Amino acid sequence: MKNEAKYENKIVLSNVGNIDPTNINDYIETRGYEAAKKIVSNEYTPLNVIDIIKNSGLRGRGGAGFPTGAKWEFTAKEKADKKFIVCNADEGEPGTFKDRLILEGDPHRILEGMIIAGYAVGAQKGFIYIRGEYSTAIERITNAIKDAYEKHYLGNSILGSSFNFDIEIKKGAGSYVCGEETSLIESIEGKRGNPRIKPPYPGQKGLWNYPTVVNNVETIANVAPILLNGADWFKSFGTEKSPGTKIFTLIGNVKNPGVVELPFGITLREIIFGFGGGISNDRKLKAIHLGGASGAVYDGSILDVPLDYDALKEKEGMLGSGAVLVMDEETDMRKYLKNVLEFFKHESCGQCVPCRIGTARLCEMADDIIEKGGKEVNIEYMKHLTDVMFKSSLCPLGQSVIMPVKSIFKYFNNEF
Amino acid sequence: MKIDTILSKYEPKSENLIQILHDIQDHTEGNYLKEEDLEKVADYLKIPKSRVNGVVEFYSMFSKKPRGKYVIRLCKSPPCFVKGAFNMLDELKSQLEIDVNETTKDGLFTIETTSCLGVCDEAPVMSINNKIYGKLDSAKIKKIIENYRKGKSEI
Amino acid sequence: MNKMVKITIDGKTIDAEEGANLLQVARDNGFDIPGLCYYDKVSPTGACRLCLVKIKEQKGLIPSCTVKVSEGLNVTAFDEELEDVRRTIVELLISEHKLGCMTCDTASECALEDLAYRYNVTVDNLPFPVKTKYESIDDSSPVLAYDPNKCIVCGRCVKACYEIQGKGIIDFIGRGIETKIAPDLGVDWKNSACDGCGECIQACPVGALFEIPSVGKARKWEVEKIETICPYCGVGCRIEVEKKDNEIVRINGVDDGPANNGRLCVKGRFGYEYEMSNKRLRTPLIKENGKFREASWDEALTLTARKFSEIKKNYGGNSIAGLSSARCTNEENYIFQKFMRAVIGTNNVDHCARLCHASTVAGLARAFGSGAMTNSIRELEFADCILVTGSNTTETHPVIATYIKNAVLNHGAKLIVADPRKIDLVKYATLWLRQKNGTDVAWLNGIMNVILNENLHDKEFIKNRTEGFDEFRMVVENYTPERVEKITGVPKEKIIEAARIYGTAKNASIVFSMGITQHTTGTDNVLSTANLALLTGNVGKLYSGVNPLRGQNNVQGACDLGALPNVYSGYQKVTDPDIKKKFEEKWKVALDDKVGLSVVEMMNEAHKGNVKAMYIMGENPMVSDPNLNHVEEALKNLDFLVVQDIFLTETAQLADVVFPAYSSFEKSGTFTNTERRIQLLNPVLKAPEGAKEDWEIVQELALKMGYEMQYNNQSDIMEEIADVTPIYGGIHFYRLGKDGLQWPCKDENDPGTLFLHKGKFSRGLGHFSPVDYIPPAELPDKEYPYILSTGRILYHYHTGTMSRKVSVLNEYEPGPYAEISPELAAKLNLKDGEEVRITSRRGAIVTKARITARVAPDSVFIPFHFAEAAANRLTNDALDPIAKIPELKVAACKVEKM
Ligand SMILES: Cc1cc2nc3c(=O)[nH]c(=O)nc-3n(C[C@H](O)[C@H](O)[C@H](O)COP(=O)(O)O)c2cc1C
Ligand code: SF4
Ligand code: FES
Repeated sequence: MKNEAKYENKIVLSNVGNIDPTNINDYIETRGYEAAKKIVSNEYTPLNVIDIIKNSGLRGRGGAGFPTGAKWEFTAKEKADKKFIVCNADEGEPGTFKDRLILEGDPHRILEGMIIAGYAVGAQKGFIYIRGEYSTAIERITNAIKDAYEKHYLGNSILGSSFNFDIEIKKGAGSYVCGEETSLIESIEGKRGNPRIKPPYPGQKGLWNYPTVVNNVETIANVAPILLNGADWFKSFGTEKSPGTKIFTLIGNVKNPGVVELPFGITLREIIFGFGGGISNDRKLKAIHLGGASGAVYDGSILDVPLDYDALKEKEGMLGSGAVLVMDEETDMRKYLKNVLEFFKHESCGQCVPCRIGTARLCEMADDIIEKGGKEVNIEYMKHLTDVMFKSSLCPLGQSVIMPVKSIFKYFNNEF
Repeated sequence: MKIDTILSKYEPKSENLIQILHDIQDHTEGNYLKEEDLEKVADYLKIPKSRVNGVVEFYSMFSKKPRGKYVIRLCKSPPCFVKGAFNMLDELKSQLEIDVNETTKDGLFTIETTSCLGVCDEAPVMSINNKIYGKLDSAKIKKIIENYRKGKSEI
Repeated sequence: MNKMVKITIDGKTIDAEEGANLLQVARDNGFDIPGLCYYDKVSPTGACRLCLVKIKEQKGLIPSCTVKVSEGLNVTAFDEELEDVRRTIVELLISEHKLGCMTCDTASECALEDLAYRYNVTVDNLPFPVKTKYESIDDSSPVLAYDPNKCIVCGRCVKACYEIQGKGIIDFIGRGIETKIAPDLGVDWKNSACDGCGECIQACPVGALFEIPSVGKARKWEVEKIETICPYCGVGCRIEVEKKDNEIVRINGVDDGPANNGRLCVKGRFGYEYEMSNKRLRTPLIKENGKFREASWDEALTLTARKFSEIKKNYGGNSIAGLSSARCTNEENYIFQKFMRAVIGTNNVDHCARLCHASTVAGLARAFGSGAMTNSIRELEFADCILVTGSNTTETHPVIATYIKNAVLNHGAKLIVADPRKIDLVKYATLWLRQKNGTDVAWLNGIMNVILNENLHDKEFIKNRTEGFDEFRMVVENYTPERVEKITGVPKEKIIEAARIYGTAKNASIVFSMGITQHTTGTDNVLSTANLALLTGNVGKLYSGVNPLRGQNNVQGACDLGALPNVYSGYQKVTDPDIKKKFEEKWKVALDDKVGLSVVEMMNEAHKGNVKAMYIMGENPMVSDPNLNHVEEALKNLDFLVVQDIFLTETAQLADVVFPAYSSFEKSGTFTNTERRIQLLNPVLKAPEGAKEDWEIVQELALKMGYEMQYNNQSDIMEEIADVTPIYGGIHFYRLGKDGLQWPCKDENDPGTLFLHKGKFSRGLGHFSPVDYIPPAELPDKEYPYILSTGRILYHYHTGTMSRKVSVLNEYEPGPYAEISPELAAKLNLKDGEEVRITSRRGAIVTKARITARVAPDSVFIPFHFAEAAANRLTNDALDPIAKIPELKVAACKVEKM
């Protein structure tokens, strides 16, 4: 029995499950495209839109929590012949499937958010980069785009205005690192997904070196509601520094795994034991891997920390994508460590030395821990290596290996 | 579909490479990319063959080797791992009598592993071609495979 | 040059150019920051992460190789943390790298080895066990091998292949720890399109890519390195030769080589084996009773001097003719023509430039006043439109082709290719015009017709800098795109598009070669290219001009130095009384003022018995000249033939006396490359005992014939050249250094000339010539229904004297063949590799068919390098009336399956 009603505050998921995602009119009936229409018909200047988003305090839901308004403003100020909006629907972070639910359940919400973003920064073209494995989502979005074109919500002079905006889908083909924004840009350009060096940031030089805003699906899904209801309404949810809600995906050894949208400030205890109904098979909680593979792994001591983007900084972790992977007492943390490292090794793009070789050596050392026991392996060196990878890797993939590794060694020291 | 028909759907711009590769692979018996087709793609997009190859090699959904009619991709990322994915892998291997990245003699099944498929609340999960199967256990796997052998993808 | 700014590195203030690469600047100032993926010739990658530094007020560690210098940067290059990170990265690299230093040819020059030493990293002191598995080496290519176990995945080769050579043969494969590199679709190297230029090897900082021919020849520290100029084509690449015990071990491009920037082609890098061949001539030979016997120098020289003197006495100096050599130095060419003119007393001196660019010299001299490339090679990279016609540049001038590809790939230039064959450059072209062979005047006129119609011509330039426009215009007006389409087979839309691209470009450069020149209308063709440049004002400025690519390494120089029947050195006319007087005074002898015989005319006169003796220095007309059967008869008809060469060539075999000469690896002297750059050679190896330098042989012959000639070395000769040759007036060996000098270089203070005709043409005003289309001399008919054209290929050079003695080049291309279209093959029921007989009115050869869509359906192409199936047995010796160049590019032939 899920305790959904008690906890949920739906902004992003309000339509999901409640409307027919294949019917544009269903979306329109929930005040769909109203915000976009208002905006592109010049009721708001681009600057107004950016101001509203800035005021709302919306932060990127792709993991890093970067303020969305600031990102848009940055790109809006760039002078260029072309600009692009990219919706990051690559969702490869293990344990995360929130974006898929939005894409499948409320596709027009994404299109509307992108139109608004395009208007705000001066872009006339948007791409939705969806991971190739999400076939249903791809289908839904493809149809939604078709319907939107038919209604002149996309294309030239959309929604009865003089604003032009096109959206195209690009499919990924199986690569986690392509969720990283510069790698994603390379992939849209039809290349290997090797991340680029930053700076320059996509906001200055993104797709084909034109200024490009890359936003996560969930971020974009917040845009239309904010413009309809105002920044203050949005700020009434969540915490001061992280307003609004967050979708959490609760998985692993819990009674009721699933997805839940909750305001920031919620605790893991409420999520796991409230919404999730506690540990399955009535076992004891052992570990929580928070924020996807690249987040930190904690023991029960984290349960009562109110969650937002800044709360975990001192705990050397992150909220990331909002994945909450729960492990019970039976879990072998040495094997778990190895599994996480295998993931990174498999998904490293391979261009920079610390990550390419570092992930491989870490896997081998984790193997040795399993085979020969922790004493045989230079665990201090493993920590040192993740430190070096953190400092020297080219992109956040290699940089983030430090979080799971160090936290596992820290909280589950007795197993090594 | 013939390769030329596929190519003609796309503008000859290198940004379409990945989309074209998907399309060709989806329409090739054996779920893979043939050398001669890749050459045509390079010609069509006016890019070096090595660039096409580099892309094919980078993305895990592409294969240069023929695969079974049904490509089974079992997720082995942490959420599925926690829920016993590797037991499911053993199950698959023993039921199909092949190892990972191998194809059954009858050409029906290939086993692959994959990173997270984004259906973690149903872990452990696998996909067969485009379809997702979650909450796997030995019995369920057996049934799915039986059904596929009989030509049914529903369970 | 950009603004200078001040930056600080580890507390030291440094002046640097704004925008410069921070890592480079640091290194140039003595901060030896490590870094393996940084390669100054390609765009920065920033992936090895060794060059990380700290920059004040910037977050984290930053790869200095990706930072552009700006005012006030405050950089920490070395501190404990940075060095700790670097050491760990080196540890990781060493753990992935097969340590084969004991047998690695790169050892001691390996960048990773240096770092391991610097950070004291060995496999034994790594803090983790090494479990790396080894993969097999790909050594299937004739010239290079790839050892994935040594590869550090820095990507320098990938970028070198694409960004420098414009080929893109190599890219990454796999990802993560499995990442490696592979050619094409991941095939064996042998089966890839790799043409063996070796740019990737030169870029590899470790020993992962290496030269097969060098394996086991020498450790790096045993070799001596000497810089000189490549012995093959007219690009004039500067090379660094590594040698051990008088053997060449390896050749690399010199990074600051002015023409090549370190680039080379497969011949330049790997084509040196002939040099050490045991077939080199080591002693003079005299033919007796049809057989050669060895002779002493004195005997051979005395015999030759006596014979020449007798023939001169009996029949006059004009009964002797000489062929000088585009393979010999400027000094030797000067001495040779001086010998013919001053000692023999004839202007019958020519060389094989006649067969390639006589029409260029004639045409451009008429239009501009000077018959050479107007621009420099490297300017091509920065042209925004390049029109390449009649030049299969990637094969004939491979390094020049790289700049054309750079222009397209790295700078977005538009390339127009006009060629009957689908040459490699078509891949890079915005537009390809496939004209019928020999219709060049027509399509060029067509383009100019459109330019005039659409008002794209440069009125200002035409008014101020040219003459003859109105007359020219009248002719061009007849060449409407519709009419041109009928003549040339090029659709009119393409003519129009080409006109718009060329006509609207800011800097347009025309590049041509023998496809334009080797026609009975060769001079007309060249004049047409000049017209096009004049019409749009695309000449006389940086990046735009008319650029004939000269073939052999010193063909430009041989022309410059007067190895031509009508001019002394520096294109000074033999018919000009003042010039004649100047040379008579200098050479202290009476000179002839009649223009001498050109190559083909010499052969004709020898055939008739009017030319009795010939002196051939370093040329092989028995393979290179048109209508070979006729040439053979002519040479056999001579009373006396002297050949001087490094090998017993097909021509030398017909000689009465053969002199063994030095190769260009063995002497000093200068070559002038196709961009008019005079460059200094350095002797690298000791010549075979018994051989002499060409100039020495000529000098000794002169002395024996009673003419005073006393040069001590080639530098002496250059002093005389400078004295009598205005365009070489400022050339002295001591001035040449690494960059050489480009003529015109009038005096000691003249820095030379990057591009010609700035502000004023050599002849004053640029001259428009009205040129009408005239069909080729021989067109296909019922009996000979196909068009035959000949040319060069990448792997061989000229008559193959050198390149065919190089085993790796033979591995790429072992022998003769004919390119035949799939259409023609189908008609003849012919399979690839089967034998065909190709016949023209002048002869027949049997060769292998290579079926390829490169040639047009009704055409056949044969490379001319192969004596055993010499294309020139078929070619037509009909001549361009002005330049006397034969029509090697069009003949009629028939093809039969054997
Ligand atoms: C390895 C890696 C994978 C990532 N994957 C995703 C992803 O799947 N979806 C996503 O939205 N952001 C992902 N990101 C974050 C993006 O780089 C980027 O920050 C985000 O798309 C920005 O959108 P936001 O500002 O709306 O959060 C990933 C980052 C890294 C380093
Ligand atoms: S950190 Fe890893 S994924 Fe990121 S660039 Fe380096 S190798 Fe690629
Ligand atoms: S040299 Fe800068 S990262 Fe490799």
